[in-house]
Amino acid sequence: MTWRPVGLTRDVPAGRVMRAWVDGQDAVVWRSTRGVLSAWDNRCPHRGMALSHGFVRGEDLACLYHGWHYGAEGGVCSLIPSHPDLTPPDTIKTRAFQSAESDGVIWVRLEGSPDLAPPAIAPGLDPLRSFEIRAREGDIAHGAAAKPFEPAILSLLFNPIAHDRTLVTVLIDAQATSDQRKLASRWCEDVRREVEA
Amino acid sequence: MSAAFTLYDYVLSGNCYKIRLFASLLAMPYQSVAIDFYPGYEHRSERMLSLNPAGTLPVMVTSAGGQVLTETNAMLAWMALHDGGAQTPWFPAVDPALGPQVQQGLAFGAGLTDSIGLARLHAMLDWPVDGEAAKRAGLKHLRALELHLTDRQIDGGLWWAGAHPTIADLACFPYVALSPDAGLEHDGFPAIRRWLYAVRSLPGFATMPGIHPLHELR
Ligand SMILES: N[C@@H](CCC(=O)N[C@@H](CS)C(=O)NCC(=O)O)C(=O)O
Ligand code: FES
Repeated sequence: MTWRPVGLTRDVPAGRVMRAWVDGQDAVVWRSTRGVLSAWDNRCPHRGMALSHGFVRGEDLACLYHGWHYGAEGGVCSLIPSHPDLTPPDTIKTRAFQSAESDGVIWVRLEGSPDLAPPAIAPGLDPLRSFEIRAREGDIAHGAAAKPFEPAILSLLFNPIAHDRTLVTVLIDAQATSDQRKLASRWCEDVRREVEA
Repeated sequence: MSAAFTLYDYVLSGNCYKIRLFASLLAMPYQSVAIDFYPGYEHRSERMLSLNPAGTLPVMVTSAGGQVLTETNAMLAWMALHDGGAQTPWFPAVDPALGPQVQQGLAFGAGLTDSIGLARLHAMLDWPVDGEAAKRAGLKHLRALELHLTDRQIDGGLWWAGAHPTIADLACFPYVALSPDAGLEHDGFPAIRRWLYAVRSLPGFATMPGIHPLHELR
């Protein structure tokens, strides 16, 4: 399976939870208080609630519905609040995916050999923003190429999240000024308007 | 402490929530009168129409002077000034840089009522409006807000304008936070998520149905 760029490191600080799509798989991406990043199936093993609505409690992610806790290391259930005296069996656990971070981008893949790192990004780039376009990757790449951004070097990463929706992650020359970054952010909107029209 | 105002209130209304939230942040006491908005349509009763001919909620009646305010933006401004006078950080009205920015955010917040708010009424209470059109308008607003907050982030800022939250943040917060009720998720909007989290982290933050507290802060 391929590594997919699901968002920016900056956008998932410690204690935050985010939903992501990986090859059609609904996933929850979250970071524990101590900074451990995890990517799991976005389904609570208890009753199926989306774990992306949950909240971080230390090194656990707690489900919004009935508060079951799952630990950052391995996704094993560690607490069932309605049965506080019960030690949950190790078999109650979430499906964990591989996650990695490099150059400020979060990558997830469903499976694959553990020692294969995500693709390297050209040096000297800063993450700018990630945003959704209701179009396919090919059409977006085409639209972006037709509208070259002059003020600074940009690099685009794509993650298909549905047949007609794509998450685009944009990186910009690390030397770019604030004004150039804001222009680039507007350029993203221009490309989206054009491609979606 | 005596009530600063009376609020004609409906618990599921995002506009009423703006006022309850700000009162909670300021620890400003007020008296609440519950109105049966749905299914009773009490906001369109003779008694309420004579108070507010527009037939909308909330309605605020100030205790001193008995001013009747029917626009949430005006109520937020009144509360900020009542609390902190002209120096209030919540409403830097005459600051040449921030004042116009805050007005921009207040107007944007009203636009959220007319887009996301309407789409939500349609989704939740089957309000007789074009739900799809309202939802499209709502998506446009979320994208515009994401762009604005991304600009702010590039400048090292967190709030709608300046270094302190203002009534512009509060005017925008409820319908953005409630947009999933209208089928508009926050997934593709990282800057909005960061800002929502910041508002929810404010000391004295109050919730409403559909807007959860930050459990991890407890
Ligand atoms: N301009 C008013 C609008 C308030 C508003 O639209 N309130 C909604 C409830 S959240 C309402 O009362 N709608 C009445 C109706 O559509 O019948 C404000 O900003 O305060
Ligand atoms: S569905 Fe998650 S704890 Fe019940």
